[in-house]
Amino acid sequence: MLNTAFVIGNPDLCIGCRTCEIACVMAHTNKVLGTEAIKDVPFVPRLSVVKTEDISVPVQCRQCEDAPCAEACPEKAIVQRGQIIYVLADKCVGCKNCIMACPIGAVYLTWVEDKPWQKTAYKCDLCIELPDGPQCVKKCPTKALSVVLPDEIEKSIKQKRVNVVRAV
Amino acid sequence: MQYTVEIDQELCTGCHRCIDVCPVGAIGGPAGMAADINYDKCCFCGQCVQICSAYQEYKSETSAPRETKMKDRGLLASVREPLFAAHNMGHAQKVWEAINNPNVVTMVQCAPAVRVGLAEDFGVASGELVAGKMITALRKLGFDRVYDTNFTADLTIMEEGSELIKRIQENGVLPMFTSCCPAWVKYVEQEHFELHENLSTCKSPQQMAGALFKTYGAQVDKLEPKKIVSVSVMPCTAKKFEASRPEMNASGSQDVDLVLTTRELANLIKHAGIDFKSLKPSQPDSVLGTYTGAGHIFGVTGGVMEAALRTGYELITGNPLDDINILDVRHSQGVKRATLQVGDLAVKTVVVAGLENAAPIIDEIKNGTADFHFVEVMACPQGCISGGGQPKVLLETERKQVYASRMASMYKHDEELPLRKSHDNPEITKVYKDFLGKPLGHKSHELLHTHYCRRG
Ligand code: SF4
Ligand code: SF4
Ligand code: SF4
Ligand code: SF4
Repeated sequence: MLNTAFVIGNPDLCIGCRTCEIACVMAHTNKVLGTEAIKDVPFVPRLSVVKTEDISVPVQCRQCEDAPCAEACPEKAIVQRGQIIYVLADKCVGCKNCIMACPIGAVYLTWVEDKPWQKTAYKCDLCIELPDGPQCVKKCPTKALSVVLPDEIEKSIKQKRVNVVRAV
Repeated sequence: MQYTVEIDQELCTGCHRCIDVCPVGAIGGPAGMAADINYDKCCFCGQCVQICSAYQEYKSETSAPRETKMKDRGLLASVREPLFAAHNMGHAQKVWEAINNPNVVTMVQCAPAVRVGLAEDFGVASGELVAGKMITALRKLGFDRVYDTNFTADLTIMEEGSELIKRIQENGVLPMFTSCCPAWVKYVEQEHFELHENLSTCKSPQQMAGALFKTYGAQVDKLEPKKIVSVSVMPCTAKKFEASRPEMNASGSQDVDLVLTTRELANLIKHAGIDFKSLKPSQPDSVLGTYTGAGHIFGVTGGVMEAALRTGYELITGNPLDDINILDVRHSQGVKRATLQVGDLAVKTVVVAGLENAAPIIDEIKNGTADFHFVEVMACPQGCISGGGQPKVLLETERKQVYASRMASMYKHDEELPLRKSHDNPEITKVYKDFLGKPLGHKSHELLHTHYCRRG
């Protein structure tokens, strides 16, 4: 049984504008509108638009089952919470083990707002605090991002199997 | 010419959203590659600056260090926001030097739309009107005289309204175009120069103010015009270009020396360590600082038209309008036509919001089917409130709501002001009595009117 959800980008639709990164930063601050919102907080989004010669797409945490980042964490600061893998900033000591363990480079390090001496790992949390879900998905001008829910994966797997049988 | 808008080739991701938003097709570039501006076409409206979301993070590595890039962009060293690929040239460093220079006298003016945008950069919800706090902040920054562009917006109505009446009565060139939007003026000069006589000869409120500060203002305060540094705060990136036009020197030197955008003013206030939100409101300096609701609504699409009609109607018929809220010209979504019965004359008007929408109107004039008298064109989608120098609306999905709040705030302020027609402004009467003489008079001609030149 799959039990985590994640956000994925579609490279065919992504135009590399980085609006998703801005949406991400703004979603994780309590400040309102405008550039003030990003002036006093570390401007480090939880997803990163990667651009190569022929494609661009944002890369963010896949919320792995048996997450290597959580496995690697000596402080047990990374836990599963609902459908996501979550970093407990208060427990994190900034050892960077999770950063090394993550196979796709989706973990970052920053300082804690209000506590600049404390470092913490952080990563995509599906905007778990917000009622209308992941903001990168909502704000992308080309709708290049989508949320993949566990049962959708199951359905898609089933469909693929059916297709294979039909092709035989 | 000053290139006031640029795209940083290193930061641009090649998303090309700026190409879509540019009203004059001035931006291009191969798919997926950095975009570039063609300055023969660009009118400096700054809409590309507004939409671009590609940025350099705080402390990330690029060929030139962040400090160098900030310096090149004219940004103050204290600015901490990300640097975006599409950006405008800043004058904040130079203004900071001027206000800290004891040997010069600094005079400042703020455009109408600045006061409904500025607060957003201090974390306040969009549309909050901060006219009084803005004046206090300018004084705290150290400006010696705090005047107002809204005052010369009223003055523009006196001159432009009289010009329109004259053209109608004396068979002058019609339709007459407004000339307050520098991006629109530059566009006419470079793409449709054969229509330049349709442009009103009135300078924009910014330039009228500059010319008055260094002449009348200097005379009243017994100042040497050469010692004055005249600064304007504008919601617009094209105003920087307008101020640098060589013909804008009626006072003997450049009438407006430095132009700040709304965002640059916010940066200056933060740089000086002023706690903006807790400031007590105050009033601008007298004579060149008093304004009416008509002057204020210059900042929204249809505003100049409505202000002109409020005064024009009364000048022609001798009676006040029944209802001075001329809703027919408000909220243009592209092209809005309206007819107002003024005495025996049906005055036909067109309000164009967004430069890309001017094409059909221009075609009608060229092929002789135009039957209208007066055309207002603002290059930005909702007028100056949506200008390239306003606080950045970081997420496209929020743009509509932010512009709507700014616009609602503009009309609210108009309704709240005790005087709402330009010719009712007592200080305008005083300036005509003491200095200018009469609208379209000799002195007005010298200081407040201009001419146009072919570009490209
Ligand atoms: S906002 Fe959408 S189009 Fe823009 S970079 Fe992100 S995923 Fe790509
Ligand atoms: S951070 Fe990396 S390792 Fe951890 S759950 Fe996300 S993708 Fe997996
Ligand atoms: S919007 Fe910004 S990132 Fe996108 S092409 Fe234009 S300048 Fe480059
Ligand atoms: S400033 Fe305006 S006209 Fe110039 S490139 Fe940008 S959007 Fe186009």
